[in-house]
Amino acid sequence: MSDSKNSTCDEQVFDQFFKSHAKLLRSYLYYKFGDLDQAEDIVQDSFIKLWNNCSKVSIDKAKSYVYTIATNLGISIARHQQVKFKHQKYITQRKSDVTNESPEFVMLEKEYMEKLKNAIADLPNRQREVFLLSRIDKKTYREIAELSNVSVKAIEKLMHKALVTLRKKIGNI
Amino acid sequence: MFDNKKDDIFLSRWVNGDLSPEELSEFQSHPEYEYYMKILAGADTLDLAEYDVDAALRNIKSNKQTSYKKNTKPVIKIWPYLAVAASVAVIFGLFLFNSNDSFATSYGEQLAVTLPDGSEMILNAKSEASFDEKNWKTNRTVSLNGEAYFKVKKGSKFTVTTKNGDVSVLGTEFNVQSQASFFEAVCYEGKVRVTSNQDNTILTAGKAYRNITNTAPEHWTLVAQEPSWITNTSSFRSIPLHYVFKELEDQYNITINTKNIDTDIIYTGTFPNNNINVALKTVFSTLGLQYQLLQNGKTVVVEN
Repeated sequence: MSDSKNSTCDEQVFDQFFKSHAKLLRSYLYYKFGDLDQAEDIVQDSFIKLWNNCSKVSIDKAKSYVYTIATNLGISIARHQQVKFKHQKYITQRKSDVTNESPEFVMLEKEYMEKLKNAIADLPNRQREVFLLSRIDKKTYREIAELSNVSVKAIEKLMHKALVTLRKKIGNI
Repeated sequence: MFDNKKDDIFLSRWVNGDLSPEELSEFQSHPEYEYYMKILAGADTLDLAEYDVDAALRNIKSNKQTSYKKNTKPVIKIWPYLAVAASVAVIFGLFLFNSNDSFATSYGEQLAVTLPDGSEMILNAKSEASFDEKNWKTNRTVSLNGEAYFKVKKGSKFTVTTKNGDVSVLGTEFNVQSQASFFEAVCYEGKVRVTSNQDNTILTAGKAYRNITNTAPEHWTLVAQEPSWITNTSSFRSIPLHYVFKELEDQYNITINTKNIDTDIIYTGTFPNNNINVALKTVFSTLGLQYQLLQNGKTVVVEN
């Protein structure tokens, strides 16, 4: 173990790293594999692995290390069980301020949101991943591209496709 | 325009605000525009279930420590000294630091308790709860006998232990009722985990769990925002009648003589906790039973 200030083994450095990356990793795994509890477990396991190997992984390599481990863990679990997406359950609607809209409007709105959430859950995996990282986690196309090591152009294409797919699925309401 | 192979990133550029002014105004006059606007506006109101990063980090820390232990072996035998030190500490602890706080309610009473971290606990009638104030920061545990409603501040794991099982959460609102052979947990906000001898389930907001001895555990969904007893109404959902009588007895300090009736029939309904006459009438008349509140005001005799 090295004692240098920026070592991954330094507890403060590790904590800081965890706090700035855990949440996005969790979203990423969730969108990819569709199970939030499982995503949280994988986040935990990957970071424990990082800690146990902290002397071998420098902090600037840590991010790709954790993402690689997490993705592999996710894939090996997904192989064992047919992943069924549970987006409707965990994706919640932010509480908006009290509205004075008519009950009918509120109901239609609710119906629309249900339909939208279902349509998102039914998106092809890569499209959903990109769409949600962009809309929920507010990541730029560049940041999303870096997560999965592809070009920005590829992400832009997926985002475009995701919107077209959603549009078709939702129909004219 | 949107399935056009030449511009397969048009919508991405639109989302990003990268369209040229001409492209944008052309798109805005297109009939599809409002549908895409609606999808985007809808998606932007979505959020993911909350993630408690600090709790997750603590979790990792506790796992880290266990993995440490495997690698380190003590070189010097220090355990005899530690044992002495520990027992001294325990003895001191028993006498000096026993800072358990306990609260109890009597018949018909309710009690709101603010816990050290600002979380709230409201005790219903004939209930007892205790917790350790000194160690609250590291150990948010309340032991409960009876019924209470909790509004938990975010933070470390918060656990309610009862004879029938444990309910633990990170920050939420929930109700726990634990009687002799009856265990019920209702989650009003957030997410709670219920662990009892037979079961280990996670309740999300609006979900409830009940386990009555000798019957299969039940799950159901509710619409209420908080338990009805907070507003002085006891309510019951498909529950054996004797639990309803027990609640009447706890709320009004009466004894119900049920010699001639079957207390296992299933009851669904409510009664007020602040008017004994209305309460008795509501329960008994719906059951088609005659009753009499005796002169002493303490005993109710039921005639079939």
